[in-house]
Amino acid sequence: MDLAVDRTQSLPAVASEASLVAELQAGSEDAFAYLLGVYQNPVFNLISHILGNDSEAADVLQEVFVKVFKGIRHFHGQSSLKTWIYRIALHEISNHRRGWLRRRLRETASFDHESHEETAASWREQAGRTANPYQVLEQAERQDLVKRALADLPPVFRAVVVLREIEDLSYREIAEVLGIPEGTVKSRLLRGREMLRRRLGSILG
Amino acid sequence: MFESCLEVRQLFSDYVDGQCDREASAAVRFHLRYCEACRAALDSLQAVRAELKLLPHRRVPEDLALRLRVQLSQRLHRNLLERLRVRIENAIEPLLVPASTAVLTAVICFGVLMASGSPPRANTPDVPLQLATPPRVEALAPIDFNTGDQGLTLLTHIDASGRVLDYKVLSGQPSPGLAQMMLFSLFHPATLFGKPTEGRIVLSLRRITVRG
Repeated sequence: MDLAVDRTQSLPAVASEASLVAELQAGSEDAFAYLLGVYQNPVFNLISHILGNDSEAADVLQEVFVKVFKGIRHFHGQSSLKTWIYRIALHEISNHRRGWLRRRLRETASFDHESHEETAASWREQAGRTANPYQVLEQAERQDLVKRALADLPPVFRAVVVLREIEDLSYREIAEVLGIPEGTVKSRLLRGREMLRRRLGSILG
Repeated sequence: MFESCLEVRQLFSDYVDGQCDREASAAVRFHLRYCEACRAALDSLQAVRAELKLLPHRRVPEDLALRLRVQLSQRLHRNLLERLRVRIENAIEPLLVPASTAVLTAVICFGVLMASGSPPRANTPDVPLQLATPPRVEALAPIDFNTGDQGLTLLTHIDASGRVLDYKVLSGQPSPGLAQMMLFSLFHPATLFGKPTEGRIVLSLRRITVRG
C-alpha cells in the first residue's frame, strides 16, 4: 500500500482500507502515522464541537487514539474504519462527560473562554481574506452565537447534529457510529435542528 | 395532503437532506408554495445549517499532534517487545510438558533403580556396593588332616547362611578329615544386590608341617 499520500487531506478509499487495516494490525509505524495524519483533525474537530472545549478535546483525542491502537486487532471490517474511529470517539466523549467536575468546569467557565478564543482566531483568519472588518466582526459574532446554541443542545441531539452538519456523515453512518437505528437518527436530527432554528432563526434570518 | 403546517415541518429535516420520498417531497413543495410561514421556517433552517457548515474546522495543535505520534510510537515499540516475548513463550511452551515429563521419568527411574540396588539393611551396615560378590572364607575349622604333597583343590557350594552345602574335589587326595573341616568351617555367603545368596568358591588347601 502506498502511504505516501497527503496525510492531512485525504481519507483512504474503501478498496485500500483493508490493506491499511492489515498494516495497522501488523503493527506498522508508517500505517499508524498515516492513520493519525488522516483522522486526527476530523476526530479532533468532532470532539471539539461536541465538547465545546479544545483542551478537553485534546485529552479525549489522546484517549481515542490509544483505544484505536489497542483495539485495531479486533477490528474486522464490520464497519468502515472512519465509522469505527468515530464510534470510539463518541464513546470516549461519553466517558469524559461522566465526571461531574469536568461537566461543571465545562458548563461554567471553559466554553466562554473557548468561544472568545475561537472567535478571535476566526476573526484573524478571515481578516486576511475580507476587506471589510465590520463583516468579519459580524461573521465572528454569528459563529459565536451558533457555537453557543450548539453547546446548549442536549448531548444526544448535539452529537447527531455535529455528525450530520459538520462532519457530513450519512444517516446510516451516524446510526453505526452511535449504535442507534436510522429512525432515531432522523428524529434526533429533526429535534436538534428545530431547537437550533428556534434559537437562531430570528438572529440569522 | 397534510392537515397542518406542523406535519410539513416534521418533514423539513428529511427534506433538506433529500431523504423524503418523491411523493412527500412533492407535497412539501406544494405546501411551501402557499404557506409563507413554513417557507420562512425552512429558510431559517437552511440558514442555520449554512452557519453550522461555516464553523471553523478545528485542527489538532502541533504540540498535541507531536505528542500523539510520540505516544503511539512508544506504545508500538513496547508492543513489539511484548510480541517478541509472546513468540518466544509460544515456541518454548509446547516443549515444556514433554521436557518436564522426561525429566520426571528420569528421576523416577533413577529413584527406583537406586532403591532396588541398595536396600536399607539395619543389621548389615556394611552393604557391599557391588551388585554381586562371591563367597569368602571367614574361618576354617582347625582340623588336622593330610592333604598330600600336591595339596587339595575344592569347588565348594556355600548357602545363604555361610554354610557348606556341598563340595567337589578338583585335584588331590580326599581324606576323612576333609568332610569334618567343611562341616564346621564358616564362610561369608555370596551376595546379589546386597542380599545373601548361594555361591561357589574354589579352595586350595595344603598342609604345612613345621619342624621344631
